[in-house]
Amino acid sequence: MVDVSQHELVPEHTVLDEEVLEGVLSEYDIDRTDLPKIKRTDPALPDEAEIGDVIKIVRNSRTTDQAVVYRLVVD
Amino acid sequence: MTETEFDVSDDVTAVVEDTQLPRRLKDRVYRTVEERDGVTVEQADEIAKAVETRYLDTRIDPLDPVGTVSAQSIGEPGTQLTMNTFHYAGVAEIDVTQGLPRLIELVDARKTPDTPTMSIFLEDEYATEREKAHEVVWKIEATKILALGDVSTNVADMRVVISLNEDTLAERMITPEEVAEIIEDHLGVQTVQQGATIEFGPEEPSYRDLLQLVEELRDITFKGIEEVSRVVIRREELDDGEEEFVLYTEGSAFGDVLSIEGVDASRTTCNNIHEIYRNLGVEAARETIIEETNNTLAEQGLDDVNVRHLMLVADIMTNRGEIESIGRHGISGSKQSVLARAAFEVTVNHLLNAAIHGEIDDLDGVTENVIVGKPIKLGTGDVDLRMGSTSR
Repeated sequence: MVDVSQHELVPEHTVLDEEVLEGVLSEYDIDRTDLPKIKRTDPALPDEAEIGDVIKIVRNSRTTDQAVVYRLVVD
Repeated sequence: MTETEFDVSDDVTAVVEDTQLPRRLKDRVYRTVEERDGVTVEQADEIAKAVETRYLDTRIDPLDPVGTVSAQSIGEPGTQLTMNTFHYAGVAEIDVTQGLPRLIELVDARKTPDTPTMSIFLEDEYATEREKAHEVVWKIEATKILALGDVSTNVADMRVVISLNEDTLAERMITPEEVAEIIEDHLGVQTVQQGATIEFGPEEPSYRDLLQLVEELRDITFKGIEEVSRVVIRREELDDGEEEFVLYTEGSAFGDVLSIEGVDASRTTCNNIHEIYRNLGVEAARETIIEETNNTLAEQGLDDVNVRHLMLVADIMTNRGEIESIGRHGISGSKQSVLARAAFEVTVNHLLNAAIHGEIDDLDGVTENVIVGKPIKLGTGDVDLRMGSTSR
């Protein structure tokens, strides 16, 4: 199979640590279920990601330098 | 991240880096300072502060109805889009749906676009040598029998006769034996192959079966990918003055193409957002939606639509981890509120179903509140201000 993460359309996906996640959620004052979702079957997902994990995505943004977004892994 | 490619003093850098500006704007400040020689640190500070104030002022306020603004900002220029579907896009005589039909197709998240196409980039020597590039083309373009030789029917003997063109065979790297084998596999007939001629016929002499065989023969894909009917090679100039070959296709099979040798799997793209989603994931799909909508508008001279509006559309379409269309079957159809759904389309059905299932509307959204005549929860409508009593 092709290494999907090498494609220029695919930003960097990393699993977020629980402690860091707490900080993010309290910063925005939201629950993790309020985050955008990503399917567990998504080809760009790191192998170790499991349902309930939160993925940190660093996009090359068109409007700023880099944009950090989070997605919750769902079934 | 304080290293800059601009020729400005460290003090200026410190002043500018201290602001809340995004990288892009900081760079523009540097460029301006650099262009006007002899800007003092104080002046630079003043410029940076002014830019920062302006930047903070133009940011979206909390409770701003961004969706409505986006809808209007895309809708108004949308009235100027062309309505005729077909037009040759500048690139390589490949027919691509443009204008309004393309925009609708994207927003509706149509399973297959009207004119699927891929832009295939090549790696290393495949990108620089024409022969090598052609090798890839033959692996992608669907080769039908009519491209390989002539087909004739001998009605007297009830035989189909194929005379293959040996030059074409050599060029496309396929042997007459292979062709004969593929025919046998697909049609279930015995073939007689001699040199470049292949003969076969129906088991029982029947005129209908004979014609049927010819029909079926024409549909067989001997080489390449069935979905891709045409590939065009173009030589394109790179930024550094070098040239490379790029392939454009009619029809798409993104997943198959990525794994072909010689294809650069890091730049190759396709205009079918679902294929991108399947092979590269939601984030790539989001990016493609923005790119495609933006290009569609730009193609029609409407590139003054702010990309943020398109980003919002793409964000909403990919919010649930898969591509959803905007409209009855997608976002609008899956809204929580009955009244909001009923207000959109097929009013009676929604109200009837809601009544049957005893649905409750919490009146959280905008549409519902407009219907019942309450203030909407946007802008000042969401802010409760009461006169406070100050205790002395």
